Amino acid sequence: MRAVLAVCIVLLLGTGETTAQSPARGDAAAHVGRAVRLMQDRQFSEAAAEFAQALAIDPNNDVVRIQYATCLFATQRDEEARKQFEIERQRLGDRPGLNYYLGRLDLRANDFTAAIKKLAPLEKDPALSDAAFYLGVAYMSAGEQARALECLVRAARNNPRDPQVHYRLGRVYSMAGRADDADREYQLYRDWQESQRVAEQYGHECRDALRRQPLAQARTVCQRIADPKDSRLLVLLGELYSANGAFSDAVAPLQQAVKLDPESFDAWNDLGSSLFWLKRYREALPPLRKAASLNPQFFSTLTLLASTLHALGEDAAALPVLERAHNLNPDDAQVASRLERLRAALKGKR
Amino acid sequence: MPRGRIGPGLAKLKIAQQQRQISMQYPKDCKQFMTRRDLLWLLAAGARAQQPAGMASRGLVPQARGKPSGLPFHARFTDIAELAGLRAPVIYGPEGRVDYIVESMGCGVAFFDYDNDGWLDLFVLSGTRREGPAPGATNRLYRNNRDGTFTDVTREAGLTRQDWACGVTIGDYNNDGFDDIFISQWGQNVLYRNNGNGTFTDVTREAGLLHPGIRWGTGCTWIDYNRDGLLDLFIAHYVVFDFQSVPATGRNPKCNFLGVPVYCGPMSLQPERCMLYRNNGDGTFTDVTQSAGIDRAAPTFGLTAMAADFLGTGWPDIYVASDSTPSLLFRNQRDGSFAEQGLQLGLAVNEDGAEQSGMGLGLGDFDTDGALDLLKTHFSGDTAVLYRNIGRGGFEDVTLRAGLGVETRYVSWGAGIQDFDNDGLPDLFWATGSVYPEVEKVHPEYPFRTPRVLFRNLGNGRFEELLSAAGPAIAESHCSRGVAFGDFDNDGDVDILIMNVNEPPSLLRNDVSGSGHWLKVKLVGTKSNRSAIGATVIVTYGRRRQAQAVTAQSGYLSVNDRRLHFGLGAAQSADLEIRWPSGLRESVKAVAADRLIAIREGEGVVKVESFGGPRTAA
Repeated sequence: MRAVLAVCIVLLLGTGETTAQSPARGDAAAHVGRAVRLMQDRQFSEAAAEFAQALAIDPNNDVVRIQYATCLFATQRDEEARKQFEIERQRLGDRPGLNYYLGRLDLRANDFTAAIKKLAPLEKDPALSDAAFYLGVAYMSAGEQARALECLVRAARNNPRDPQVHYRLGRVYSMAGRADDADREYQLYRDWQESQRVAEQYGHECRDALRRQPLAQARTVCQRIADPKDSRLLVLLGELYSANGAFSDAVAPLQQAVKLDPESFDAWNDLGSSLFWLKRYREALPPLRKAASLNPQFFSTLTLLASTLHALGEDAAALPVLERAHNLNPDDAQVASRLERLRAALKGKR
Repeated sequence: MPRGRIGPGLAKLKIAQQQRQISMQYPKDCKQFMTRRDLLWLLAAGARAQQPAGMASRGLVPQARGKPSGLPFHARFTDIAELAGLRAPVIYGPEGRVDYIVESMGCGVAFFDYDNDGWLDLFVLSGTRREGPAPGATNRLYRNNRDGTFTDVTREAGLTRQDWACGVTIGDYNNDGFDDIFISQWGQNVLYRNNGNGTFTDVTREAGLLHPGIRWGTGCTWIDYNRDGLLDLFIAHYVVFDFQSVPATGRNPKCNFLGVPVYCGPMSLQPERCMLYRNNGDGTFTDVTQSAGIDRAAPTFGLTAMAADFLGTGWPDIYVASDSTPSLLFRNQRDGSFAEQGLQLGLAVNEDGAEQSGMGLGLGDFDTDGALDLLKTHFSGDTAVLYRNIGRGGFEDVTLRAGLGVETRYVSWGAGIQDFDNDGLPDLFWATGSVYPEVEKVHPEYPFRTPRVLFRNLGNGRFEELLSAAGPAIAESHCSRGVAFGDFDNDGDVDILIMNVNEPPSLLRNDVSGSGHWLKVKLVGTKSNRSAIGATVIVTYGRRRQAQAVTAQSGYLSVNDRRLHFGLGAAQSADLEIRWPSGLRESVKAVAADRLIAIREGEGVVKVESFGGPRTAA
């Protein structure tokens, strides 16, 4: 979710007339920092409340408003979400990320015509790979089976491991009387659903094994999760290992994950974190930089990046990173203290 | 939220990184870092394999409620059970706790006219208690006294029995003009033949319906699957269960709900298959499960079973609501066999391809397009599902479009699609009740007893929930399961009978005001089975066409009044089309409203009754 949000923000702000937004100012940054941490924990309602407070202080911050709107979307507060996205559309014009969410809101509101209008231009946008799916659903609901079919076929190509796509595609084929095609898709739906179920079960068993067994034994249990072609399972495996201190084991699956999904914040972040804890600072730096670029408001990533730069003796580079981290979480006494020492150290060097 | 390219369980995986004590120096011991809060959502919330307790729920956030329509609703429900003489509690397991899953599932109820006097009687199933026979626990037959009260005639009828009764199906299997009763149970099932003199005889053994060992029969329905005019019998099963091999509440730490120990299942238990028995015409039945292809379907946790001509082919199919597993649609192949096609017809899962906890079923035509639609109920944190019949392609999940997404609070059971206010637009109703009595003591926000749910039809494919506008009985909280719909007081509307766990049943009398007209249709088969089970009636009134079917099970393991009730709104007459189970089609034109008409197969209307029944006692 964070990765896609970041992509949306890039789509919104990386092109076009507006210049890059400065980080939320002052107290607003602290609210944003809390909000982003809450989003990480999928506490979207609480995150929305923090973003709302940030906006009250810094009402012209487009990034914050978009993040706020996304949390409202996640908690099905559709009217409010639409209002916030529309504000941004007024400010920034028609941007892919905005139209993506507004189109999905139209879909939820059963306004299929409007949904199609907004989502259709996004059908082939590689940054919004599931736009084709929602567009297909909109066409399906509007009774336009032929277009629904085209979109869902594309969605299946974009996300071949998603059982939901195959189910929807099966339904369209069924409605079109194409029984053989429908059966094929239903089988894929069953297969990928079963695959997910098995992965979930393996995940449980891996977690339990890592907690209760020696690592060598737990590894045998955990490696069943590894699928060299599935970045999400590789990230899951990496996170399970690193959550239990097995950082060396976490590296390989995460390295593979970032190759498969170069825009995955989780993969880059966890890879950088694992390398950091292995004291492989030089290697940790690129993934942490990438993670920070994908999610510039995530406190933990910034503190890790700053620590890595410091460990490499690059205090001048560490300072602005640590300052950003501090702004996002001014209550963190340790970071505040480190920042003070770092400033003092740099001043002393000049 | 952009969908992860992976399913919802894995997409939720996160490991929350609490603030680490990040030292600008290399930490001496990496184990000193603060423990990560292990929010493996996948493992905590999504992994059904590791959640022995409970049923599948999507944990949905409900849709925001829109503004009320402000339209008056001309039906008002009052619970008159006490006044009507329904005072005996339905014993089902211990009070205040559930040790085993069998104690939580409850049972069905039935409206039927056992003595053919034109007035609906009540049949209320019962459970028992594991420790031994509970005083007063028995299935009960209540005879309608025609004055709003009932008399318990269980003993005289020979129906006294205490078991883990689950489902009931009513039909005249021997075509002698009297409705018989089949009860599915945990243990052995029971077939009661109606002797025609107010008594019943247990003929299970001689009918060939005893099965080896213990099985948990749940959904059951009469069905004439081969169109020979004889009612055959379909039985669904829930899980493989016995008290010895399944741990009681508190014995398995994985079986908990929000940290409160609860019973285990069904996910940790083995699902079951369905069975089909063919009626031999001589009082006996033959197990044709294998030859009919019923056993080719994957085992599920089967609950309510419903037989009807869902697809308009002239042949009855069977739909089984299945808990946490894909629901089953056995499509009649017209050659004595069935093919399971729930997925192909859009009835197995919801629109996202997700399995749900299917419990209750309602059948009706909510959009009055002449095709039968389905309503299925589910667990809390999820919506009920409304499937619209789209013809050749099967069914379409229109739940959210219809506005049902606003209600996800309750564990939901017996359901129906019925026109309660006679405005010509069928409404939706279901009963609710938790499965975990222990939880509310620790988490009062999860009460054991919860209110009924009623959605009124707005006529544009959408519904709005009525929280208090349909009378006090809707808002009353009970732990309910089986629901049956029928007109017990013969006043031209639809009343509701509800099973409440360890409480007396509820009898919701409907008092309709307003000027809506209605029509009731009673069918009597001649070439078809006498009960006309499997028949479809399509009524045309104004610009609307409404389909209904004569079923032998619906709600939750229950049986509705077989007299089909059609609200006609402002229309004062209607045209009827009857599709008999035998394949015969008949039509009757310009039937005056506000009548009960009886139609005999091949003969047309044989009786017309105007209702103006006696005032009820309350």
